[in-house]
Amino acid sequence: MRFRVLSLLVAAAVFAGTAACDEALSDLTGPTPNLEPTFSSIQQEILNTTDSSGRLACINCHNGNPFVPGNFTGANAYPALVGRSSVEKPGLLRVAPGDPNNSYFVHKLEGGPNIVGERMPRGGGPFLTGGQMLVIRKWIADGAPNN
Amino acid sequence: MTVSRTLGLLVALLVLAPGLASAQAPPAAPAAPANGESSAAAAQPAPDDPDRDFNRSQPDFVVVNLPTTLRLPKFKSAFRVTHRFGRPLGQGSFGDLADDLFGLDSGAQIGLEYRFGLMRGLQVGIHRTSDRTIEFFTQYNVWTQADKPIGLGVIASIDGTDNFKDSYTPAIGVAISRELGKYGAVYVEPMWVNNSNRLPSELVDDNDTFMVGLGARIRVRPTLYIVGEFIPRSGNTPGVNHGTFGLEKVVGGHTFQLNFSDGFGTTMGQLARGGTGKDDWYLGFNISRKFF
Repeated sequence: MRFRVLSLLVAAAVFAGTAACDEALSDLTGPTPNLEPTFSSIQQEILNTTDSSGRLACINCHNGNPFVPGNFTGANAYPALVGRSSVEKPGLLRVAPGDPNNSYFVHKLEGGPNIVGERMPRGGGPFLTGGQMLVIRKWIADGAPNN
Repeated sequence: MTVSRTLGLLVALLVLAPGLASAQAPPAAPAAPANGESSAAAAQPAPDDPDRDFNRSQPDFVVVNLPTTLRLPKFKSAFRVTHRFGRPLGQGSFGDLADDLFGLDSGAQIGLEYRFGLMRGLQVGIHRTSDRTIEFFTQYNVWTQADKPIGLGVIASIDGTDNFKDSYTPAIGVAISRELGKYGAVYVEPMWVNNSNRLPSELVDDNDTFMVGLGARIRVRPTLYIVGEFIPRSGNTPGVNHGTFGLEKVVGGHTFQLNFSDGFGTTMGQLARGGTGKDDWYLGFNISRKFF
């Protein structure tokens, strides 16, 4: 009887431990703990908001200013990003649905060697963290839906 | 979450199974002697435990990394050390390889393992690798080939990185063995490994790995064996499918094994994450010791 009770306790502990095994997304996204791989979340947490690390919101500059390509405010943001050719690299889409590696938006945020001009956000950082970039990449890899 | 709950239930069944088995088993120990005849009775040797007999087909508790269905006797234990050297055997010329003593000069991922028999057929153990992964495992060997056509063991494990403080990877499965007379044994081991991807599930397409461990140990001389494993996978499958082969010598309670692998993994989580994916092979060895 004691062994059965012990078995049940061990099983309960294992069950509880198993249910809690997955890593928390908020632990990965650092200064934007609410960031999720959806467009609405990326717009709110990345495009519209300066985060706690001091990384500047995109709409500080990309707000319809005629001297800055891309208007990322409100309803303008999705069509300005997804399926739209880059001004600096016309051969690349800013966001190529399903293909984060060939999305110029990703290149500019990660500072790849093929970008024209500065890495974003301009001014030498702070830049997006690796975890924040993983979320953006996942949204693009999922087809960049307007969700 | 559904997967986690299913996994939890299966693990609960695993943990309960030994309890049910022991509840159904007849009492193993003879009745206590009456006062006055205790000294003579106490001097009698304990009943022979067949689990202590050397099994020529299954001389050790693992093939290379996959568990066998060898039973660890009650209250006995065994220790194992694993090395997987980091130098790819295909790197450079043969002269370069010889200069590095076939990889022995390079660093290695080292594993230390201790297992203990809690009750007949039930063992628990701990395995730590030098990348600071700790795995706790348990195995209940339900059948042996003494009374069934196959041997069957139920396995559960959980490993965690950073000294079991991060990225937990539980696994459950079964080990099915078929002994080939006294000439070795073959194994099929379906395993479900949960959370094999270290990223949050929101960022990955597959967070679990289903793998089927295939293993064999063939006795080619009285104490010399050829061993091999291959582990095809589905679900989260980074790297390449784990494969290994080697040569093993059994000397008394010791087993010495020289092996060649396409990765460094020794825990279930590491095996689920596959080999290095660089089409490289690495030298390694296992040394194990039974304390009975």
